[in-house]
Amino acid sequence: MIDLIEVFDRAETGPLTSETDYYMKRYVPKLTEVIARHKVKWDKETIINADDTLTDAVFEAAVDLIAEAGAYCPETNRVMQFTRDEIVVACEQAPKATTFGEGRERNVMRGRRPDTTDDRPWVHVGGGIYTTDEGVFVDTVEKMASYNIVDSVSVPSILHLRGKDSRVRSPQEILSACKTVRLAREGIRRSGRAGMPIINGISAASQPASMFAASYPDFGLRPSDGFLIDFLSEMVVGYEALQKVAFYNSISANIGSTSTPLFGGYAGGAEGVAVTATAYMIMGNLVFRGSYHYNAPLHSKLHLSSTKPLIWAIAMSNAAIGRNMQYPMVNLPYLGGGSGTKQYHYEMACYMLAVVTSGGNVFSGHPAMAVQSDSLVPDDHKFHAEIGLAASKLTRAQAEPIAQKLFPLFGDKLKDPDKGLTFQEVYDMRTKRIVNADYQKAMDEVREELAGMGLEVPVS
Amino acid sequence: MADAEHFDKLKQSIIDQDEDQVLAAVNAALDDGVEAKAIIDQGLLPGLNVIGEQFECEDIFLPELMQAALAFQSAMVILEPKIKEQGAEGEKKGKIVLGTVKGDLHSIGKNILKLLYETSGFEVWDLGIDVDLFQFVDKAKEVDADIIAMSALLTTTLVGQKDVIEALRDQGARDKFKVIIGGGATTKEWADTIGADGWAATAYEAVTLSTKLVS
Repeated sequence: MIDLIEVFDRAETGPLTSETDYYMKRYVPKLTEVIARHKVKWDKETIINADDTLTDAVFEAAVDLIAEAGAYCPETNRVMQFTRDEIVVACEQAPKATTFGEGRERNVMRGRRPDTTDDRPWVHVGGGIYTTDEGVFVDTVEKMASYNIVDSVSVPSILHLRGKDSRVRSPQEILSACKTVRLAREGIRRSGRAGMPIINGISAASQPASMFAASYPDFGLRPSDGFLIDFLSEMVVGYEALQKVAFYNSISANIGSTSTPLFGGYAGGAEGVAVTATAYMIMGNLVFRGSYHYNAPLHSKLHLSSTKPLIWAIAMSNAAIGRNMQYPMVNLPYLGGGSGTKQYHYEMACYMLAVVTSGGNVFSGHPAMAVQSDSLVPDDHKFHAEIGLAASKLTRAQAEPIAQKLFPLFGDKLKDPDKGLTFQEVYDMRTKRIVNADYQKAMDEVREELAGMGLEVPVS
Repeated sequence: MADAEHFDKLKQSIIDQDEDQVLAAVNAALDDGVEAKAIIDQGLLPGLNVIGEQFECEDIFLPELMQAALAFQSAMVILEPKIKEQGAEGEKKGKIVLGTVKGDLHSIGKNILKLLYETSGFEVWDLGIDVDLFQFVDKAKEVDADIIAMSALLTTTLVGQKDVIEALRDQGARDKFKVIIGGGATTKEWADTIGADGWAATAYEAVTLSTKLVS
């Protein structure tokens, strides 16, 4: 595989072009071309594709897209170009397993193949976009880490300092990022599982300086945690991302390549998102030297990922990578319904059935449209992890009819989702036990409904 | 060919997002003596309205929207000098100064809004991403804008929207411009808190809101 310095050089030596021309003369026409060339087509009904001719066509289209469109570096206004051979070698040499954590919690996340029903996928819970009050932050992390089925956590963001919001790139943001990781590690220690990895490093850091500062070992993060580096906009590889690549490769840390292709944006519809998401996972290894991938396609207007075409596209990208690379991946679901609502659970079940049977690992999801401060309710995430583990016993063909039954239960609500609950509304703040009977009832009823549909979800 | 037939062809060429077809239709209409302003108002803009509706309904996506907008811009290169020659100024709905606030590098939502504004007949000054607050203020004054529209995706960049409104107040210019906000991190409550004139959840809503604000 081409070495890292050579990758950086591609941002200095590729053809000069404006961002608009990159999109309109390279990315968009090439994406259209490769979709047509490989006959990638969504039938507008299927949620979980099980046709592997189509799956492999998506993978081939993604390889062609990278080879023909390249990536764009806005700082140098140059196209980073890679030959087809370089891309194929990167696919062949991508990691198929990544080790996270320390001591008893040291464990391996593996790249999975679609329809694997006899393994135990990696179980990751939590979310980074919630801005959580310091008063409940440690309790929230402790509770998530204490669930015995959980292998790793994403921790929420603390963006307040002395009661005020931290501004992007400010010194306060650096302090907020440091505080977030210190308190997160404390929460994990309190759970009795001190070695458990945090794999969304670093949620409160929007800039490299904050990420590097919060990576200082005294604050509690280690190379065996996971550090996220994202593509800023479709196929854009900015200097900030490359700075993080340089640093985290220099300390041999686990890197989570991260991408959020937008449905309705430059990627277009379902087919474009499936191909672009797959391309990002390949580039995650080729450009970022990722150890695992955070796959997070999103609807450009609804800001969630649980529409039918998006679930199809996300599952498709998992299957394409699962069949052809086995790069370890988790999928970050953004859901419409608020915490504790039935809508939230239905969306998560549908999403989990799609991605886990297609080769993804288990990752609980965010309430996105109904998000509010302190809305990370750990028992939601435990339930969703249990759903993911139940889904891992099914093939895509077995999961599809259940997903089809679930979708009508939430599809019409996505534009105006049910509002949810906060940590404080669910738990007794002294014992941290569930005291909201309606919350528990909704979860129990959904568990029963899922069993009725053919998805038994045992309580862990 | 009758004028109405030209207008139909112009409209359809925009809907087809075909730049060559648009330019051919524009030239054919001009050759037949159709006025440049009528070509825009009765041919191209109705086509762009259809494109905007298709985008909102997810029948088409950003690339198609951009193709249509680029075809429209190519046509304007031919038509604008003719309008000036004919002494007929093009009527714009309003002037918009647009950008993503300081510290925020996200552009897609803002780019979609720019295209929808242009295809809806607004004149737009796109300041780009990571825009210094005084750039918003200075540009709005320079072009005598009707609306300042600011996007922010990150929670940590929201404060940039508040700063622009504060700067406008400090300079005694708050009443001269309508200020609207949007972007992933924003809410109606935030807009109310900082004293914005409006908030839009989507680009399409922002255009509707802006149309209302300037009418």
